[in-house]
Amino acid sequence: MNERLKGLYKTIILEHNKEPFFFKKNEEATYVLKAYNQICGDRFELYFEVKNGVIEDLTFHGFGCAISKASTSVLVKNLKGKDFVKALLSCRQFLSVTNDEEANGENLGEELEAFSAAKEFPGRLKCATLAWDEMIKFLEEKK
Amino acid sequence: MLFNIQTKQRAGRWLRKITIMIELKNIKSHFPIFQHHPDLVYLDNAATTQKPKSVIDAISNFYEKENANIHRGIYPLAVTASQKYEAVRGKVAQFLNAKNSEEIIYTSGTTASINLVAHSFLSPRLESGDEVIISAMEHHANLIPWQMACKDAGAHLRIIPMNELGELDLKEFENMLSSKVKMVAITHISNSLGTINPIGEITELVHQKNIPILVDGAQSVAHYPIDLQALDIDFFTFSGHKLFGPTGIGVLYGKKQYLNEMEPYQFGGDMIKNVTFEASVFADVPQRFEAGTTNIAGVIGLGAAIDFVNELDRNEVMSFLKKNEKNLIDKLLKINGLSIVGQAKCKSAIVSFSMGNIHPHDIATFLGAENIAIRAGHHCTQPVMDFFKVPATTRVSFSIYNQAEEVDFFVEKLKEIKQFFG
Repeated sequence: MNERLKGLYKTIILEHNKEPFFFKKNEEATYVLKAYNQICGDRFELYFEVKNGVIEDLTFHGFGCAISKASTSVLVKNLKGKDFVKALLSCRQFLSVTNDEEANGENLGEELEAFSAAKEFPGRLKCATLAWDEMIKFLEEKK
Repeated sequence: MLFNIQTKQRAGRWLRKITIMIELKNIKSHFPIFQHHPDLVYLDNAATTQKPKSVIDAISNFYEKENANIHRGIYPLAVTASQKYEAVRGKVAQFLNAKNSEEIIYTSGTTASINLVAHSFLSPRLESGDEVIISAMEHHANLIPWQMACKDAGAHLRIIPMNELGELDLKEFENMLSSKVKMVAITHISNSLGTINPIGEITELVHQKNIPILVDGAQSVAHYPIDLQALDIDFFTFSGHKLFGPTGIGVLYGKKQYLNEMEPYQFGGDMIKNVTFEASVFADVPQRFEAGTTNIAGVIGLGAAIDFVNELDRNEVMSFLKKNEKNLIDKLLKINGLSIVGQAKCKSAIVSFSMGNIHPHDIATFLGAENIAIRAGHHCTQPVMDFFKVPATTRVSFSIYNQAEEVDFFVEKLKEIKQFFG
């Protein structure tokens, strides 16, 4: 089996795919954000509960491939408890690693860094960034 | 007279037998892509087929040695280009056994062909409360054009239901055929399930009520012989690129009586008889539907593709594909947690499946790294995915160059992926 590919599907991604963090719907959410990839049909909804500008609760639900699911799970884990400005900075930092060929993401921590391998597979890069792209659009509007 | 016809037929068969030159066991050598990618296992033929050298050569030969616009210049190059362009029309008509070549319209592909019929044939005759029938397994290209026509007219789009095997409910279909129905459009072979629909039987039912029918032949034309006169189909569509030909060229076949009733879809050069600032008189069929400079090299490539297919023994092709399909299904069914999506009794060499919770895109990425090309996704048939309650499937679609050992290699890699994801 292809070693480079195994590198992309690191244990972290496989674990998040199998047991994603905060994988549930929330009917009481302040905002519901849709992350939809029309090319492949991956579809997630992110449920926010916001108090005083802070993301107090963040969950997600939907379906997608291992990479998009794990990436959304890591996003949720990462942004929960942050205010909009800090959340926006985290998103920008993540996307700078996936979008910049030179960046290796070491300073992001193991979980976020795992996705930098998606750069080697351009066909799968959108899977890694899907939820983050939508989140950044949302936060830039709301901040 | 009868004697003459029989002799002619016999001679034709004999001639055909000796002109069959391409044997399936050597077929890969006709496709340059496999010389450039010797390890390529290409199992995405429902998306597009690979191109034989004869097609590639015909296109580059045209551009290198024969390029000119058609129907306009009177210099020798233009005359030759026009003749070749029109000769392919005759070739297509013969290939599909259409009554005459004027019933063959060049389009950019199946999608454009269906849109043309929906816009120019159906819309003018569709009124509020009317109905259009399609099936539950249509590609979006044979769904949205009718959906939009119905929306504009206030008509209803009705769907022939299917069972969990992916077979249409023809009893229910018969009940749906009321006087309100103005058009039936149905795929010959489902691109996501592989079901071969009984289009002969369906056409008969539809014609009993004097309703016109369009058959989407995108998935059938490469591997299954089509006899339009015997089937009595009113409209038939296909794309060149699924028939070993180039992209951007396709065909709409329509019965002359219907084509004559249709207004052009696009206006411009080459589709008129006379133009003044006050009014225009349009050309006859088929030119009136081919406005502007068309895909001339594409037409030449399509002609070469048909020549290529004519050199194959189509019975051999069909049994060869069936063997590969059966072999794959037998092996897939032995994998725990794998389910085949679409198990119709009458099925083409398209096999869709789900493998536990492993997403088709993850499967496709791992297979891609092994040089195995398959399709993963909703295959432009989202309602089919909804019916089977899956977001996407992994799809294998065979063609003439796939060998039995490729099936073994594919299944072996699939098992490794399953193990990796645990």
